[in-house]
Amino acid sequence: MEITETIQRSKQKSNPAGKELTRCYHCGEDCDRSISTDDKYFCCEGCQFVYQLLQQNGLCNYYDLSSTPGIKVKGKFTAERFAYLDNADVQQQLIRFTDGRQTHVSFYLPQMHCASCIWLLENLHTIQKGILYSKTNFQRKEISIAYDPQQTSLRRVVELLAYTGYEPYISFNESEKKKVKKVNRQQLFKIGVAGFCFSNIMMLSFPEYFSSGSIDQPYLQKVFSYLNLILALPVFFYSASGFFISAWKGLRQKWLNIDAPIALAILVTFSRSVYEILTATGPGYFDSMSGIVLFMLAGRWFQDKTYDSFSFDRDYKSYFPLGVTVLKDGAEKIVTINTLQKGDQVLVRNHEMVPADAVLLSEEASVDYSFVSGENTPVLKRKGELIYAGAQQLSGSVMLEVINPVSQSYITQLWNNNDVFKEKKNTEKSFIHPWSRYFTITLLLIAAAAAFFWWMVDPSKILPAVTAALIVACPCSLLLSATFTYGNMLRQFGKNKLYLKNASVIESLAGVTNIVFDKTGTLTQATLADITFDGVPLSQHEINMIGSLAKQSVHPLSRLLTQWLENQFTMSVLPVSFFSEMSGKGTAAMVDGHQVKLGSQAFVAGKQVNEHKAENGTVFVAIDENVRGVFHVHNRYRKGTASMLATLAGKGYSLHVLSGDHAAEHDRLRMLFGQNAILRFNQSPQEKLDYIRALKKDQHGTRVLMLGDGLNDAGALLQSDIGIAVSENISQFTPASDAILDCSQFTKLDRFIAYARSGKRVVTWSFILSILYNIVGLSFAVRAALSPLVAAILMPVSSVSIVLFVTAATSFQARRKGL
Amino acid sequence: MQLEKFQYDNRIVRNFAYATILWGVVGMLVGLWAALELVFPKVLNVQPWFNFGRIRPLHTNAVIFAFVGNGIFMGYYYSLQRLLKTRMASDILSRIHFWGWQLIIVAAAITLPLGITTSKEYAELEWPIDIAIAVIWVIFGWNMFATILKRRERHLYVAIWFYIATFVTVAVLHIVNSFELPVTFLKSYSWYAGVQDALVQWWYGHNAVAFFLTTPYLGLMYYFLPKAANRPVFSYKLSIIHFWALIFIYIWAGPHHLLYSALPNWAQSLGIVFSFTLIFPSWGGMINGLLTLRGAWDKVREDVILKFMVVAVTAYGMATFEGPMLSLKTINAISHFTDWTIAHVHVGGLGWNGMLTFGILYWLIPKIFKTELYSRKLANAHFWIATLGILFYAIPMYWAGFTQASMWKQFTESGQLKYPFLETVTYLKPFYATRSFGGALYLVGALLMVYNIYKTVRQGKLVANEDAEAPALEKTYQQHNGEHWHRWLERKPVPFLVATLIVILIGGVIEMVPTFLVKSNVPTIASVKPYTPLELQGRDIYVREGCYTCHSQMIRPFRSETERYGEYSKAGEFVYDHPFQWGSKRTGPDLAREGAGNNRKTNTWHFNHLDDPQAISTGSIMPSYSFLIDNVLDTSTTRAKIRAMQTLGVPYEKGYEDKANRDLAIQASQIAATLHNDSIMVPSNREIIAVIAYLQRLGTDIGKNKIAGTSNK
Amino acid sequence: MQVVSVLIILIAVSILVAGGFLVAFIWSVKKGQFDDDYTPSVRMLFDDTPAPDEESSVKSKQS
Repeated sequence: MEITETIQRSKQKSNPAGKELTRCYHCGEDCDRSISTDDKYFCCEGCQFVYQLLQQNGLCNYYDLSSTPGIKVKGKFTAERFAYLDNADVQQQLIRFTDGRQTHVSFYLPQMHCASCIWLLENLHTIQKGILYSKTNFQRKEISIAYDPQQTSLRRVVELLAYTGYEPYISFNESEKKKVKKVNRQQLFKIGVAGFCFSNIMMLSFPEYFSSGSIDQPYLQKVFSYLNLILALPVFFYSASGFFISAWKGLRQKWLNIDAPIALAILVTFSRSVYEILTATGPGYFDSMSGIVLFMLAGRWFQDKTYDSFSFDRDYKSYFPLGVTVLKDGAEKIVTINTLQKGDQVLVRNHEMVPADAVLLSEEASVDYSFVSGENTPVLKRKGELIYAGAQQLSGSVMLEVINPVSQSYITQLWNNNDVFKEKKNTEKSFIHPWSRYFTITLLLIAAAAAFFWWMVDPSKILPAVTAALIVACPCSLLLSATFTYGNMLRQFGKNKLYLKNASVIESLAGVTNIVFDKTGTLTQATLADITFDGVPLSQHEINMIGSLAKQSVHPLSRLLTQWLENQFTMSVLPVSFFSEMSGKGTAAMVDGHQVKLGSQAFVAGKQVNEHKAENGTVFVAIDENVRGVFHVHNRYRKGTASMLATLAGKGYSLHVLSGDHAAEHDRLRMLFGQNAILRFNQSPQEKLDYIRALKKDQHGTRVLMLGDGLNDAGALLQSDIGIAVSENISQFTPASDAILDCSQFTKLDRFIAYARSGKRVVTWSFILSILYNIVGLSFAVRAALSPLVAAILMPVSSVSIVLFVTAATSFQARRKGL
Repeated sequence: MQLEKFQYDNRIVRNFAYATILWGVVGMLVGLWAALELVFPKVLNVQPWFNFGRIRPLHTNAVIFAFVGNGIFMGYYYSLQRLLKTRMASDILSRIHFWGWQLIIVAAAITLPLGITTSKEYAELEWPIDIAIAVIWVIFGWNMFATILKRRERHLYVAIWFYIATFVTVAVLHIVNSFELPVTFLKSYSWYAGVQDALVQWWYGHNAVAFFLTTPYLGLMYYFLPKAANRPVFSYKLSIIHFWALIFIYIWAGPHHLLYSALPNWAQSLGIVFSFTLIFPSWGGMINGLLTLRGAWDKVREDVILKFMVVAVTAYGMATFEGPMLSLKTINAISHFTDWTIAHVHVGGLGWNGMLTFGILYWLIPKIFKTELYSRKLANAHFWIATLGILFYAIPMYWAGFTQASMWKQFTESGQLKYPFLETVTYLKPFYATRSFGGALYLVGALLMVYNIYKTVRQGKLVANEDAEAPALEKTYQQHNGEHWHRWLERKPVPFLVATLIVILIGGVIEMVPTFLVKSNVPTIASVKPYTPLELQGRDIYVREGCYTCHSQMIRPFRSETERYGEYSKAGEFVYDHPFQWGSKRTGPDLAREGAGNNRKTNTWHFNHLDDPQAISTGSIMPSYSFLIDNVLDTSTTRAKIRAMQTLGVPYEKGYEDKANRDLAIQASQIAATLHNDSIMVPSNREIIAVIAYLQRLGTDIGKNKIAGTSNK
Repeated sequence: MQVVSVLIILIAVSILVAGGFLVAFIWSVKKGQFDDDYTPSVRMLFDDTPAPDEESSVKSKQS
């Protein structure tokens, strides 16, 4: 197959011969020995700068804690990059606390990744005077900084972070994940209380058991059981409250959820024990009760593996800058984005985003709409043309005049018109709940039967039998099995760089029927391309000339071209003079005495062709004004995609492709996906969204899985039953989704789904296991022969063994599914 | 709140390190001596000061409170300052703590050989020293909490939790257990009697192990292991769970030391269950420790320090697995009173505490002296020798324990006990010899370390005050409400300390209760009478000479034991025993019924046996007590002793203290007379007479008339 | 009678101690001591000796 071949080819040549390579001391990237400080080599000035900075401040421990911990500083910062942080109301939004002498801010640092990071970030105070202290939370990738506003400024602090490679993620409505903490604490309190009470109740109950019911000092027995009663109160009223609340909520919606039987069991156990103790008829089952509560709370706490550092629910706003540079009567001024007015003149610098729909005032601009449309080749815009918010400016800074404030801009409309983004995703109820419903019902039936039986035989035994049944049949093992299975599976997925929002996603993943792919960035690798040349064969010298020119240009196509040339041939760089680049057209220069032109047909060959109709991904080349041919730039698909798709198709999933690009790639995609797959091109975000919606409508029981990367897929991702955001670098920002997948693992998709399916089986099996335990227990109970001791033994044994079972099973399945 | 410069106090760390090394060597030496005494009883038992009975407590106290104790403080003072990013609150307190502790040790080293002891294991020291310990301990705690309050790091690393737990619990245990009534300046009676005393003692005894040998060392592990490996602990979450689980369970594990004893059944079972549950948190800790080194085993191969720590953690795992097993009745029935216990504790002591301490020393000394370790080769040699030592020690002891237990239990077809006790002792001699060799090896290793560290210190220079800098603790602007009471405490160190002390004091107050309870102690066995003055004096000599270290006074309800020693012990028999003398080891036979039934021997036999055990029973490893023949019995104390007993609720008739010495003289002369008949010329005012009187009394009461009152079993 | 009396005391003392630790636990959770259950384990590895000494102190750790 042609694609795989090209991959092979490029693979072999991926290491250019001749060049003596080393690893950057700072970031560990391959680099030559051109840049160096005290015999350490760096890939770029950025890394070198950071090294020198640390070195001056004696922070080189950074490099000892873990090797090449640095982050390559991506994109260069213009001096004004963070100017907006001087703006008062911007600061207003960021600062958590200030009293004029110290100011507290906390940022989200996506780049934080190792011990060295923590160390450096907590030593900022040694680099910049005025920073009072800085503390990191590694799991949340957060840093909270206190600084003295008299000595330094918010802007300076952020700049320091950015220059050292930890550019904080700043945007408005980044008010996510602040509540999490409190919840967890509540949980911890409950566990602590339960733990304390449980251990003491246990110890006060044992004498009872071991003295086979009769402690030689009767009054001691009283003391013990009353102490138990006291200790049980906090467990019942505080620790267990969660179960009652959720059960009650369920009942109000006429729905027996998993917590219902548990709440019932706890309630019954408690009341019967109280009765026994007050009437001095028995010791009660407080140890079992508090044990159940403790186990379930602890289980939930230990298992809730949430990826604090990821944010699964961002909307488009998160991509926008906080502040915008506005030109008011000649003076630059920074305003917050939502104060932009119609008619404001905004200055957008290189690689900045257009904040609102606006008309171009400068001569021309080349903008990248990939955020909005997924189309990743830049578009040329002339003076007076409309540019939509979300476009990224690629060539120098331009002036624009706002025509719609942010709230009414096209992209905002896109969001606001679709209720998708407001209404919560319809999370279908987990299949556990039906289980628990049947469980409860059967249980009640059994209890009733027992009651009836004893009513015939010996009415005095009705109450003991019934209560005992409800006590011993505690479904905590049911609950634990689910939590632990999915908890462990989340971990397994995480190991394979698929980060799920929560456990319920596993179930929806298992149920998927249709799989929809976005093309660019999802199926294809943004950074690599397959390039074919048709035209007069080029001589080595010509290749050198072309390469040298392409190297100079910043245009994405030129970049791809350079990369390809370097991989395919051994190039030597030639002197370049009179370099000129015209955005949207092409680039030209004198290379080694020859005039070389790269770019659109119009630009190179001089023919008048309308830019917008021009075929996509073609670079014409002319040397000394005669056209030598054209480079066709094709996307490169991720290695292994073919086989992965084959497996999925084989398993009978229906596959779809929604691409924002032109149909150029149609044939190759067809080859990959086979005949039955549906391919759509030139899809706008809205169209993608509607497609998914239609898919779900047209036949019943379809479960749609959508994979996409860009903001343009965001709508579709939300509309689908489960949306997975594919990301080149998981620390970068992804559209709202149910899961984030590291692109390197993209081709494991089939295995992921298979694994998710196996999970359901594991849970089912564990349920059966726990049912067995319940049968044993019930057999005691209905005979009204349940001693507290049996209850106390059965309870932990069942729970523990089930937890062990599911953990083992899930890990085993993961290995079997090749994860 | 600016970047603050401050200095860590390394001098205190060094001092404790030196103390650790010094007392470590001393303690091991004494241990070796004691071990050899069982091999060469005639040579090494230099009377009276170096008799096994006096040396063995010296050994246990030396290694636990001097070696490990100083080790703990060394680790504390080093890690606490760095974890909290501050110097200790008060250098003076640090110094008082150091010198105070050393004084206590010296006091112990003097008093114990002199036979000044309470005979409560690991709490043998007499009341003035007990008070001193309490005071110094509080000073240490004061310093620690004050430091915590002036910290620059808000988060308390898990190790610190272990430290705090150690402080609080040890304080409470110490106070509750060493509650005693002074008789003279250096003699006191335990406030509890018999079964009560035993229960309290082993509640303490076990927790002494738990909270002195384990909890603090776990804290040290959580600090020094990651430091030495330079990688974070495997799971911090797990370590937190580990701590809280341990805290809530440990305190209950005591009673398993009294299985099959006269302690009520359910109280024993209680101990079993909790001891057993302990395995979970304990192993949680061990796994966490070992997994910290996952993927770094190559490191371990090179780094001798890590080697020490790995062995330590492994030993901890083994000991904490064995412990719960030993607390199971079936196994305990075999292991108890045998050398198995000795093996168990030494796996813990030599393996866990010893090896970890060595590791820490090797890591820490070069750091505070700003130099490299003098010789890694030597350290490696030390490691291997020490490991060998442990094996040579543990294996023979397990073996010995098991064989002896089975020999005790074997019957002939005719239903006779197969082995006389003496035979089971002589059989063990080779094991004792090998054990001593193992101990010797371990000591040699330690000496290598001493040299290595000496050289290291010589080539470096102490950084008495290590410069450090850290930002001051940020002011917490209220994030969440409802922590006022605590924030109030946090701002004021004193109230906070007062609060902690109150907790401990309440514990003390509750202790007053028994004094009232004791009054209501009606003997459940009518025929059990208080000791006669002579017997009482004799008993105190028995205590002084530490006979309990080799002789139990607790016959368990097994046929093998009732056959050998007579009817099993009843709780009611011990109501006048202050302190109890049940013992925990049977190097010699049980003496609970020494004076009763077919165990009863003539006064002459006892006289000769005490004078020269080997002459009477060949192959015996008991030391000679001939000095008792020369020592004149000090009857001046009799009065005080009787009064004390009365305070404790022993029903001597009113004013008996005045008649006591008369009765004493009478009984003494009677015994002397019987000896005269066998032509042993000994004045009746000698200590040996009193001892004989006591031995002849043992276990006789119950025989007199068959139990009147309800026996409580 | 006897055993029991002292047992009550032990129970009282033990529950007291355990209760003390429960309070400590609640306090520490309130203070957010356990909000971050990873970073502290890394943080404790760092030496906070002033700049110049870094190198050497680190080396000795490495070795």
